[in-house]
Amino acid sequence: MRARGLVHLASLNLRADRRGALVNAAAACVGAAALVFFVALGMGVGQAARRMFPGEARLVEVIPAAVSLGGALGGGQLDDGAVARLGALPGVEAAWRKLSLRVPIAASRPPEGVKMNWPQSFTVQVPVVGVEPGMLEQDLAKGQAFADPAPGGAVPVMASRRLLEVYNKTIAPAWNLRRLPPGLDLVGIQFPVQVGFSIIPQKTEDRVYEARLALAGLSDRVPLYQLAVPVETVRRLHQEYGKPDQGYTGVTLLARRPDDVPGIAAAVRRMGFTVDEGDRALAERVGLAITVVAGALSLLALLMTALAALAIAQSLSASVRGRTREIAILQALGATAGDVRAIVLAEAALLGLGGGIAGVALARLAALGADRAALRWLPDFPFRPETFFTFPPWVYLLGAGVSALAALLGALAPAAAAARVDPARNVS
Amino acid sequence: MISLRAIVKRFRDGERELVVLDHLDLEVRDRELVAVVGPSGSGKSTLLYVAGGLDADFEGEAVVAGRRLSDLDPRQRAAFRNQAVGFVFQSFNLLPALPAVENVMLPGLFAPPGAPTLSLGGLRARALEALSRVGLGDKAARLPARLSGGERQRVAIARALLARPGLLLADEPTGNLDTASGEGVIRLFQEMVADGMTVLVVTHEERVSSVAGRVLHLEQGRLR
Repeated sequence: MRARGLVHLASLNLRADRRGALVNAAAACVGAAALVFFVALGMGVGQAARRMFPGEARLVEVIPAAVSLGGALGGGQLDDGAVARLGALPGVEAAWRKLSLRVPIAASRPPEGVKMNWPQSFTVQVPVVGVEPGMLEQDLAKGQAFADPAPGGAVPVMASRRLLEVYNKTIAPAWNLRRLPPGLDLVGIQFPVQVGFSIIPQKTEDRVYEARLALAGLSDRVPLYQLAVPVETVRRLHQEYGKPDQGYTGVTLLARRPDDVPGIAAAVRRMGFTVDEGDRALAERVGLAITVVAGALSLLALLMTALAALAIAQSLSASVRGRTREIAILQALGATAGDVRAIVLAEAALLGLGGGIAGVALARLAALGADRAALRWLPDFPFRPETFFTFPPWVYLLGAGVSALAALLGALAPAAAAARVDPARNVS
Repeated sequence: MISLRAIVKRFRDGERELVVLDHLDLEVRDRELVAVVGPSGSGKSTLLYVAGGLDADFEGEAVVAGRRLSDLDPRQRAAFRNQAVGFVFQSFNLLPALPAVENVMLPGLFAPPGAPTLSLGGLRARALEALSRVGLGDKAARLPARLSGGERQRVAIARALLARPGLLLADEPTGNLDTASGEGVIRLFQEMVADGMTVLVVTHEERVSSVAGRVLHLEQGRLR
């Protein structure tokens, strides 16, 4: 029997029992809709979480051990020698030094040229970390340099992408400040700061002077609540203020491949240093939690699809029992057992596919509704996405395909029963 | 066209075995209209099902339309039913949800590999032609429920003729029809024989057997 004839006959049979077909297709539709909805939700929330916690799989953060016996048993200070040894570990592509600035810097005026309702006598302490330019060069804005400036020049700084989002969504509303424009529009702005000044009087240095910071770019590699400046700038300021050398605050290692990370981390620990897994562990925990919840919901949806398939199977079984004479007539007209089996399977496939396509459309509508409800009822928060759903093309195929497949599997037994009908006994 | 030799057909009813056809012999030549008469339960329908390849569970030798039925596997038997014979039943056996033309198209959907195949459009055209031949060209879109008994039987005859078989097997074709409709069906059979077909009809009605070239009586499993 040719495919067109098969589909023709199967659709005629379904049309003959419109009510039953609609009920079965509705069952398949609900299963497919739930599956597509939850899979898309899991991926959408996962994407939002990755924006919120952008853990980079190839980075290893090394910090000095909290307790150390100096260099006697390894570890101790992260000095240039230690950085060189870390950089030489197998699988390490680059080692970037980090040095926290121990000279306080504060801002008591708004950035130049940016309107933001800066409150009078409002001073913000600016935590600063010095990093090597190589670590941030991929995120440096076009035309910007990241190097210690000549005396009197503006110091280039880079901020976390997330800081801008946190400022706009939480700090600005709380302090009644104006929101800042998107990140790249801010590149190049300068803001005056007081070097040596602290909002805690005892920590203010003897010498305080005015300087300017210039935003050179935004990067996820900059810690959330710090500004990054060239490590040479931090060294210079430490010399200016007579701060003794205490070694680097940390070293960021770039692994050649994500698979190299566990081996590098183990080697770092053997050297007596600590691997700071705070951000990575958080990102992994959040990712795992999302995967588990999305997986559980998708399993539930698969169960619903399986139940829909069972409903279709039961309905088709009843239909085959009720159509025994019709099946015998078809056999009298030349249908083989294979033709009869194929007709029942085609009916199931059409039901599953039709229900699946409707389910995909229903899932999109439900996602649209959920997004609108979230926009209306959820308070604004940092990194709140425009949509909580992601619908790549394969999700549509998954919904329609799983639904059709489940219906086909459910129809195997009724199809086999139909193929066993004895025409001589049932035709009259 | 039909050659049945020493056909035995048994049915088992629990412990009891019932022999319905008992070493039955039958010869039907091409272009012959043969009527088989006999009381209810005498095995008339069973004889048709054996000759038409619907029932393969029998003993003896059956050669129909040049094919030895015992040599055919289920797939070949289905092809034989599709191409070589047409069935007409007492209760019409139309699919109630399909319009007349779709019912007539059905055999074309099951054309076996190697048989001439038509597109759905071509099949519909041929079905309309078959319906016109039985005088129902204007009622092709009607569901069986909206046709009279005689019209339904003519749709069934059109369906049996779709694949242009050489043999028509009719099981009490006028049993559910009034006199006028029954006579119309009988006329159709006579036309078909005149056109070169062979018709084997089982009936208990005098008006059908009276137009047959030969009338055979089925009694105690044998034809006399």
